[in-house]
Amino acid sequence: MRLLVLGVSHHTAPIDLRERLAFATPDLAEAVSTLARDPALGEVVLLSTCNRTELYATCHSLEDGHEAMAGFLTSARAVPADDLRAHIYTRSEGDAARHLFRVAAGLDSLVVGEPQILGQVKQAYASAADQHATGALLNRLFHTAFTAGKRVRSETELAEGAVSVSYAALGLARKIVGDLRHASMLVVGAGEMAELTARHFAAQQPKRITVCSRTATHAEALAADVGGTVVPWGDLDAALAQADVVVTATGARTPILTRKRVQAALRHRRGRPLFIIDIALPRDVDPLVAGDDDVFLYNIDDLQSVINESLARRSSETTHAETIVNQEVERFMAWARSRTAMPTVVALRQRFEAIRRAELDRLQPKIAGLPPEARARVDEITRLIIEKLLITPTEQLKALPDEALQHSYADALSHLFALGDRNDDEDDDEPGPSPGGKGPREFVGS
Amino acid sequence: MSVLEPALYALGAVLYAAHFIRRQPALGRAATGALGAGVVVHTFLLGMATVRESALPLVGAGDALGGFVWLLAIVYLYVELTSGERAMGAFIAPFIAVLSVVAVASAEPGPRPAILDSPLFVFHVTFVLFAYASFAIAAVMGVTYVLLFRELKGRQPGVFYARLPSLAALDQMNGRAIVGGFACLTAGMLIGLVWLLQANRLVPIDPRVGAMSMTDPKILIAVGSWLLYAFQIVARTMLGWSGKRTAWLSAVGFVVILVNLLPVAYLVPTSHAFE
Repeated sequence: MRLLVLGVSHHTAPIDLRERLAFATPDLAEAVSTLARDPALGEVVLLSTCNRTELYATCHSLEDGHEAMAGFLTSARAVPADDLRAHIYTRSEGDAARHLFRVAAGLDSLVVGEPQILGQVKQAYASAADQHATGALLNRLFHTAFTAGKRVRSETELAEGAVSVSYAALGLARKIVGDLRHASMLVVGAGEMAELTARHFAAQQPKRITVCSRTATHAEALAADVGGTVVPWGDLDAALAQADVVVTATGARTPILTRKRVQAALRHRRGRPLFIIDIALPRDVDPLVAGDDDVFLYNIDDLQSVINESLARRSSETTHAETIVNQEVERFMAWARSRTAMPTVVALRQRFEAIRRAELDRLQPKIAGLPPEARARVDEITRLIIEKLLITPTEQLKALPDEALQHSYADALSHLFALGDRNDDEDDDEPGPSPGGKGPREFVGS
Repeated sequence: MSVLEPALYALGAVLYAAHFIRRQPALGRAATGALGAGVVVHTFLLGMATVRESALPLVGAGDALGGFVWLLAIVYLYVELTSGERAMGAFIAPFIAVLSVVAVASAEPGPRPAILDSPLFVFHVTFVLFAYASFAIAAVMGVTYVLLFRELKGRQPGVFYARLPSLAALDQMNGRAIVGGFACLTAGMLIGLVWLLQANRLVPIDPRVGAMSMTDPKILIAVGSWLLYAFQIVARTMLGWSGKRTAWLSAVGFVVILVNLLPVAYLVPTSHAFE
């Protein structure tokens, strides 16, 4: 069995094609079932997000697998084969594993390091497992992908920092005033940017949201949208004195919050810090306001520089993240290679066990007179001797670095110990979602 | 003299620093474990000394410093476990490690004077050391507040932004540590005064008891720090001071206390020298 991934992503396909190829969550189960019935494919997982649609499958032949998967996408989503061919990518074996691990770690995302993708990969796997479409290989592959994703999250700063203006403002607010549920927010202006930022803050359930705009109808609409209250434009000073976080986004040509006005508000605040986010252009807040000790003033450029720093930090962490991905690929491939050796290992064990049984049978007349405890001891000792004899060659065989070498060793062992027909049974100690899943299959590592 | 607890405190300091830099949860847990192990060993040694001498070992400057280190480690672990914040360990643990080395390297005190047998003396020292430990925590909160404040004010969030709790949380923890420390310092000083009156009756000829007045440098500095922290509480509750100003005040207050714990205790002859 070979491992293959085929798909499209934001790297290779325009948004209209990605939209057509996307599968809604309720449709995943049926799609996976259809794919799993294809005789060219073995185990199957379908991952579909707004930025990618990817099929992970095992197959006997890469060509047949590719044809089956591409055929499924063209027929299920009514996409012309030529359109698909121009934008799809395929990866096989170790490259397929590396691709999935990079996806799970957020390294392949539009915004590098975004954390949602790991949850989406888990959901895709769970959906396929529910349909019993996964087996030993994809179970192991996806569980290793989850490990890679978690390690990258916890051991690197790839997901650190905000990468949008609203999230940057939210992060700063949390760092200045602490728990936003105990903070009051004032929105000055009711335009699109104010609305976007206010919505992000509203999701944190602040103690109070107050909207103040020259146009009362706009203020009322925004307040209704974010669960806030409206204060008349004339009461701006009083509202300012009560707020912990202020977002200003009016279309005024001159600063609305002058230093004098802010200082007057500070006198009523008894040292409580005031975080002002000025996302208006031209600016709504006099830059001199930043000179007051208890005021933290950030304009749109400041927020952008915070974002740039986050992006730069994420970028510098990609090397570390790629190293983790490589380690997990190596771990997965070592496991996959060890599966190639399993038939030989099983046959070797059976051969040794047969010899042991034969010798015990031959000695039966001599040991028959022994007490039952002594006979059990003899049985245990002979079994332990075989275990110890086999443990090193088993480990060495599993650890061989490439497939060709493993086959050479397997042939040599077969010849030396007259193993004859190799047993095709394999150990099944992989993490698995359900007993009804597809059985373990041979995987040939590259 | 034991080197085990300074070694464990030092290991904790290294691990806290590594956790601050790398932010790996396993390093953080190891750091807490090392500091906790240091506290356990320290507690055992203090218990052994108490059994040996039939009294808490609080006679010399080294004893006082050792007791302070022990209480500081306990108070810090309490703060860490209740707040879930480990970043401050990178600031406190090295301090604990260095002071524990000084305490261990200090000269062994001589025979215990009889005037120290009063339980009032034990309460006096315990309350005062507990207050000092609280003020040390407050100072670290203050220093970290200022570091984070500077990053945020300079609009360049960086190392401290990514690692420290919010300014509001640091300010709140600072305030609580100051109030707790002030209450303990007040209690410790009042108990010391009662003990002094008692000692004056019992051993009026002891020159150290006679020297216990505002002219004694140790007492003068302790009263000075009490006034400073009293001002900080008044400034916070009545004058509306918070944030950077109280952060600085708590740092300055603790420097005054350190002067009392180190140079004054070790180098200046005071009424509190019972070695």
